[in-house]
This record gives sequence, C-alpha cells and structure tokens, in this order.
Amino acid sequence: MQAEAQGRRIVLEIFGFLPVIIFVAVLIYISFNAPNFLTLRNLELVLMQSLPVVLVCAGLAAVVMAGGDDVVSGGIDLSIPATAVLAAGITAQMLSLGYPLALCAAVAFAASMIVGGLNAVLVTRIQMTPLLTTLAMFVAVVGVNNVVTASRRINVDHPWITVLRAQEVGGVPLGILVVALLVAVIFFALHQTRWGLNLQAVGGSRDAAEISGLNVNRFIAQSFILAAFSGFVCGFFILARGSGSSPGVEDNLMLEMVLATFLGAAFSPRRVVTMWGAILGAILVAAISIGFKSMGVNVFWTGLIKGSLIVLVVAFSAISQRVR
Amino acid sequence: MSDASAPTNLLINIILRFGFLIVFAAFFALFAFWNPVFVQGGNLMNIVEGSAVLMILALGMTLIVATGGIDLSIGIALDFGAAFAVVAMKSYGLDWFGAACAGVIGGSIVGLFNALLVVGLKISPFLATLSTFFIGSSVQRIFTNGGGPISHRRMPEEFRNLALGDVFGVPTEAVIAFVLVVIYFIVLERSIWGRRIHAMGMQRSAAVVAGIRVNRILILCFVAAAATCAIAGLIAAANIRMFTPLSGFSYLLDAIAAVFIGAALHSRGRPNIPGTVMGVLFLGMVANGLNLMGLNFNTKDALQGIILVSALALAVAQRKARNG
Repeated sequence: MQAEAQGRRIVLEIFGFLPVIIFVAVLIYISFNAPNFLTLRNLELVLMQSLPVVLVCAGLAAVVMAGGDDVVSGGIDLSIPATAVLAAGITAQMLSLGYPLALCAAVAFAASMIVGGLNAVLVTRIQMTPLLTTLAMFVAVVGVNNVVTASRRINVDHPWITVLRAQEVGGVPLGILVVALLVAVIFFALHQTRWGLNLQAVGGSRDAAEISGLNVNRFIAQSFILAAFSGFVCGFFILARGSGSSPGVEDNLMLEMVLATFLGAAFSPRRVVTMWGAILGAILVAAISIGFKSMGVNVFWTGLIKGSLIVLVVAFSAISQRVR
Repeated sequence: MSDASAPTNLLINIILRFGFLIVFAAFFALFAFWNPVFVQGGNLMNIVEGSAVLMILALGMTLIVATGGIDLSIGIALDFGAAFAVVAMKSYGLDWFGAACAGVIGGSIVGLFNALLVVGLKISPFLATLSTFFIGSSVQRIFTNGGGPISHRRMPEEFRNLALGDVFGVPTEAVIAFVLVVIYFIVLERSIWGRRIHAMGMQRSAAVVAGIRVNRILILCFVAAAATCAIAGLIAAANIRMFTPLSGFSYLLDAIAAVFIGAALHSRGRPNIPGTVMGVLFLGMVANGLNLMGLNFNTKDALQGIILVSALALAVAQRKARNG
C-alpha cells in the first residue's frame, strides 16, 4: 500500500519535470546529429545570441509578477521590444550625427523612461488593461522609431558598443557578464528585498495586498519602469549584436520574448511566470534555434518547431497539473 | 466645491462622456479642413472599401474576445483562405464558387486546430493561437518554398469581382463586410447563442454551472472566426490576383485595437459588434486622412500609432467616467 503511494509520488515528480525533460531530449537529439553543438564555443554563441531576449524577458517577468499572470487581464508588457529598438535607434542615429555616446545614451534613457511612464500612467490611472495598453504602445513606439531612423539601417562601430560583443574578461565575453550581473541584481531585488516580496504579493492577490496596506498601483507602475529599463539596456545589446540598428527587429524580439517567458512558466513547480523560468526559456529557445540550424534543418521549419514545442510543453504542464 | 470649478467639471464631464465621438468628429473635421477631397463621396466610399478586410477580421476577433479569449492567428486564417482559393483555381481549375468554398474550408482548418489546442489540450487561447501563428507561418514558408507569392493572372472574372466588382454601385467587398456585420450582430447581440457566448466570456464557471456547453461553443466560435477571416483572405487574394504568404499578420494589431476600442465604448466594457464597427471605421478614417495629408510614410505610421494610444486611453477613460 505504502509502496504504491510512493510509486505514485515518483511518477508525479517525473511528470512535473516533463517540460524540462522534453527540452533536454531535443537538445540531446540535436547534439547527436550536429557534432559541434555541444562544444564550449558553440554554447557561448548560444548565450550571446540569447542576450537581448534574456534582458527583455527579465523585464517582462517583473511586470507579470506585479500584475498577475493571466495573459489577457493580468500584467504583461509587450512594448519592451519596441522600447529596446527605440533606444537602439536613437543611439545609432545620434552617433551617426556625431554626438558623444554619453549624450546618446542619456536621450535614449529619457525616451525609454517616457515609454515606461506612459505605460504606468495608462495602466494605473486610466485603468486600461496592460495587454491593450502595451500593444498599442508597441505600435506607437515602433512608429516613432521609424521616424527617428527613417526606416533605414544605421551602422554602429563605436568601440564602447562593439566591446559588448567582442571583449572578453577572463575568457568570458563581457556581454554575458554584464547581463548576468544585471539579471542577478533584478533577481535579488525581486526575491530578497522587502520591495520585491511586496511586489510579488501584489501580483499574487491584488485585493489581499490592498487590504494589507500596500499601494498596489505604485508597485505596478514601478514594474513598468523596470521593464522599460530592461528594454533600454537591451537596445545596446541589439546594437552590438547587429553592428547597428536595422528596421524590423522588434517583431521577432516580441514573439521570442512572449514565447520564452510563458514557456518558462512550465519550468516552475507552480506553473507561474518566474524570472529564472523566463531566462531558462530564452536560452533554451536560442539553443534549439541554433541547434536545428547547425543540423542543417531548413529555416522555413523553425516556426513549426517553435510552435510545436509550445504546444508540447504547455500541454504536458497542464496535464501534469491535472494529474496532481 | 467652489462655484468657479463647477463649470470646468461640467466641461470635463462632457468631454469624458462623449470623448470618443468628439475625437472622431474632430479628426473628421481636421482631415476635411486639410484636404477637401476627404469629404467627397468617392473618398468616403474609399474609406469603407479600404476597411472591408480589417472589418471582417475584426468580426472574427470580436467573437473570440467575447468568449473570453484572444486569437493571434487570425492572420494565418486569412492567409490559408487566400492560399486554398488561389491553388484551387490555379491547380485544380475550380470555378469561383468552388474556390471560395475551398478557401473557407482552408481557413476553418486553422480554427479547428485552435479549438483542438484550447479545448482538447487545455492550453490558454493566447499561447495556443501564438503557436498556431508560429506553425501556420512555417507551413506557408515550406509550402511556398520560402515565402514567394503564388500569382494567378487568369483568375475567373467572378472571383476577381469579389474585390473589384460592385453591387448597384457599392463595392462588393463593402457589401460582403456589411452582410457579415449584420449576421454577426444578430448572432452575438440578439440571439440566445450570443447570450451564451457573452455569459461564458464574463464568467466561465458560472456558465458551466448554468448548463451552457462551454466546450462546444468554444469549438464553434474558433471555427466560425477562422472561416470569417478566410473570407477576408478571398477578398485580399482577388484584389491582387495572387496569394502573398504571411500577409495577414499586418492586420493583427489593428484588429485587436478595433475590438478593444469597441469594448471600451460599451457600457460594461464588453466586446460588441457596433463598437467594433466604430473602431474599424475610426482606424480606417485616420489612415485615409493621414494619407491625404501627404505625410511621409514613416511620420504617418508614427502618428497613427500615437492616435491609436490616445484614442484607446480616451475610450477607456470615457467608460470610467460614465460608470462613475
């Protein structure tokens, strides 16, 4: 009798890990078929490739944690990729006009904060749903960026930006170190400080947080500002990755961000959006894209593979929750 | 409250109460003032005709949002509708009616797939339709070998007339959109099915307790919405005599915006057909008016985005003011 119960529990545990197991299986399959995949050099490439997505995912995770994780009515910020390309566009355009980098960064920072601030005001004051607000904001900000850059590609070869891609510190690319540090700071702020725990309480149950005296709107507003900041930083990584700003980066970044963050929820024991889940999701998605490419799979299939992965992982996580 | 502030408050209240209508009228007046061509009958008909495809897509979106979900794959249904119809005529020599049926069936496949994911696998509509979007895009790329258009210059005259013909002087596409609006209005706002759909959209568990067959309604709604979007695909294909892969995505944000402008205009914030029609016409009017102002493409795009954010904010603020 007892053994049976224990057996049941083990099966349940395994079910809980299924989303991770699926990913690991896919990665193992790739590494058998693409011999160079599991080399240190290639894994570094995967990490470098995923940096912009990791950054925006960290921002999005903060918004979801503060707003609740119902996609339609809860917290979500789809405008982060637009903020990122705006920061990149402003910096690239001003650099090409000969302004110093510090001034470019300051203007880009101001612009990002305006976007974050507007999101915060529209959501907390006018009480628009975040999905709608940030979707409309995405359209507007991308439009503004197209005016700034005139929808042209602008090359950037400023040494302070290429350093993010090329410089290594103790064998590790500087870009990875910077992002790791930032992510660690955001994680610490969200999980180890009173502020972060209050913010999570707001997302967990708005009413309960309000009754216990928290200023709910303040935390939601702050999460949008944090998200805009992550977009601002991401802008520089976009510039470094593409050696400049090119039109059309935002669409793909938005899809990857949403994919990674909500896929990441499947990795958490309670199936909620977490920062680690989102970041792990971003890295795994990048690994799988690069892996299939190095296996020689036609690019046309990437969307199909990504879509099927969402279905598989999310469906399994739903099943495992029901079994529990 | 002092006497001086009373009239100001009254003014603010009037603006908030009729805000959206005032903005609608103000933009209309502005465009008319800028370029008198704007108010000529021919141009007003242009606006209606140019909005037909978006109108039809927005109807499908309204239906899904009314069930409490969201459909990110309406563009895929449009593409499939266009592709099936064009291939049916080109490779199988079907007449216009057979091709139209093939298109609608092709679009319905997308809806069935969504229904399978949402009802069968219990994936949230946002993630389910996102993966349908990924998979559908990939399928189109594989099918067309990378996204090249399939043109069919010798399309039957009757099929071309879906976009270019007219019924008693009114463009056929506007007539089709109008007929669909009427059907959707009757079903969603004036029938028992509509009540059930709204009931499950507002409170799913209550609808289940009340004996509404939630799953069956969801399946039907997803298929109906996708079939509707496929009709928009037929018009798009007839217009340019070809199927252009991945062309539906560009309508997605506008369709969502139109539905939510409409929902914001409703007294209880529900998605509804008259509101959606208002939203679509507003977007169509702004696009047309900005075009006639002769602005550069990028500026026009940015202004459109900014107007969209402001209009949404105003519509939501207006509902709040009306409800006290």
